[in-house]
Amino acid sequence: MDFDYNPSELMAAAGAREIKDREVVAVGLGLPVVASFLAKQTHAPNMTMLFELGVIDPEPVHAGVGLADPRVWHRAKVLSSFVDILGSILHKGRVDVGFLGGLETDQYGNLNTTLVGDPRGKFRHMVGSGGANDIASSAKRTIIIMRHDARKLKKTISFVTSPGYVTGGDSRAKAGMSGGPSRVITDKAIFGFHPETKQMMVISIHPGNTIEDVVGTMGFAPVVPKKVPFTEPPEKEQLRIIREVIDPRKMYMG
Amino acid sequence: MDKLTTLAEAVASIPSGSHVALPGFPITRCAMAFAREVIRQGIKGLTLSQCVGAMDADMLVGGGAVVRLICGGGSLDKFGRLNCVNRGIEDGTLQAEEYSSLSVAFRYLAGSLGLPFMPIRSLQGSDLIRQIKERTGSDVADITDPFTGDNWLVLKPLLPDVSIQVVHTADAEGNAWIMGPRWDNVEQAKASKRTILIAEHVVSTEMIRQQAEKTVIPGLLVSHVVELPFSAHPTSCYREYDYDAKEIEKYVKATSTPESFKAYLDEYVYGVKDHWGYLEKVGGLKHLNTLKADPILGY
Repeated sequence: MDFDYNPSELMAAAGAREIKDREVVAVGLGLPVVASFLAKQTHAPNMTMLFELGVIDPEPVHAGVGLADPRVWHRAKVLSSFVDILGSILHKGRVDVGFLGGLETDQYGNLNTTLVGDPRGKFRHMVGSGGANDIASSAKRTIIIMRHDARKLKKTISFVTSPGYVTGGDSRAKAGMSGGPSRVITDKAIFGFHPETKQMMVISIHPGNTIEDVVGTMGFAPVVPKKVPFTEPPEKEQLRIIREVIDPRKMYMG
Repeated sequence: MDKLTTLAEAVASIPSGSHVALPGFPITRCAMAFAREVIRQGIKGLTLSQCVGAMDADMLVGGGAVVRLICGGGSLDKFGRLNCVNRGIEDGTLQAEEYSSLSVAFRYLAGSLGLPFMPIRSLQGSDLIRQIKERTGSDVADITDPFTGDNWLVLKPLLPDVSIQVVHTADAEGNAWIMGPRWDNVEQAKASKRTILIAEHVVSTEMIRQQAEKTVIPGLLVSHVVELPFSAHPTSCYREYDYDAKEIEKYVKATSTPESFKAYLDEYVYGVKDHWGYLEKVGGLKHLNTLKADPILGY
């Protein structure tokens, strides 16, 4: 089957659709940046975009190498601080959506960005939390974007950097947090979470995949409803904006 | 009071074993000239803190100046990871206390306000808090909100001996302007016993008075003011100069093994007399001029 889009573009478009107009969105690196700009330039012109270091609503004209690149801050409406963005906006409870990526996630949407291996034995240290733990703890909902691979979607992850539904059921609420992950978007499927057990649950599978392709490449068994629709492919206009406006040099989607 | 001095004198005021708050954020406004001078002077046993681990911390760890690091993770953005910090964590030679960005920022904020502790919703239900409790025992605690009866995690204030701030403009007294986002810098300066400013430009106090609303660090917090252009090189300084991609790539490659990093230090730190020698080493004014920021774009 031939498609006129690649899996990253579908993931960005699916991420963008999760954002409603007027929502406040905390954004991390990579694909979430593309998804957020895409939402802002299509159906959510009144959304507010936050970067942890103290940046609100930038309008970059060049792609950056990360949040520390002034290219990403260009034409911002506010340039301030961690305490301003992560404190008085996020911790205060004003962030509707947080976008997160990671090395590994488990069936409850707990995320690891800290290390791979055995934390008490031999391991490789990676990047750690940054603002990810703060966003996972205080946003009204989070959207996880990740490659679909059994080494990333694991039964047990090496380290819980950012909490999802912790050990399932009401364990997240018991730890003092509301919110939690609402979606996991991979390059094969979109998942939600079961309302009671909080286990990951297939919502839709991307065109060209079978349910076996999706479930067979995961380290745990997700909840699979009787009928699973295909994910809506990206629209022509979404693809044009991704390719021509947001990421013409393929720095995010490469 | 005139606090102008040289980088060498300002650095010499820091005893081995001090707690130093560093100003960088991955690859921007890092205290690189400061880190190189600390290594040259052989200062050891430092505790470093910053919200997100950056290139200044990585160089100091790689240069053997650090025993303990308090941060919320870190990287060099797309250029790579903090190889020296990661190696220290993996082989156990670096005592790393890992939080999140906001929890370190709240620890500085508590310190800046003179509060005994700061409640936070972050860290709960994660392995970060389990590891912090195992490693420090005393920097976090659980309390009951006296008004609602809810349980809260509380953080101990961070009170660094000295904060280093790379700023755009300051007067000789240390009233400082920072352009662009300030991440944890202002809370760091206010939580610390004193601050060393490394300014791109030193101007008259009259100039500061003309636009005093830009002043984010008051001079009363500052012990030394050093005027030093390109002090964040190879990282960027918003509206002054861009990052030097080739030099950061060289650094990332050099830090991949302790041996290759030793060669890097021999060339760029021990092999030059001071910051002016370093700037010549990386290409002098002719090269640095190519990094100058466009006034509209800021990079």
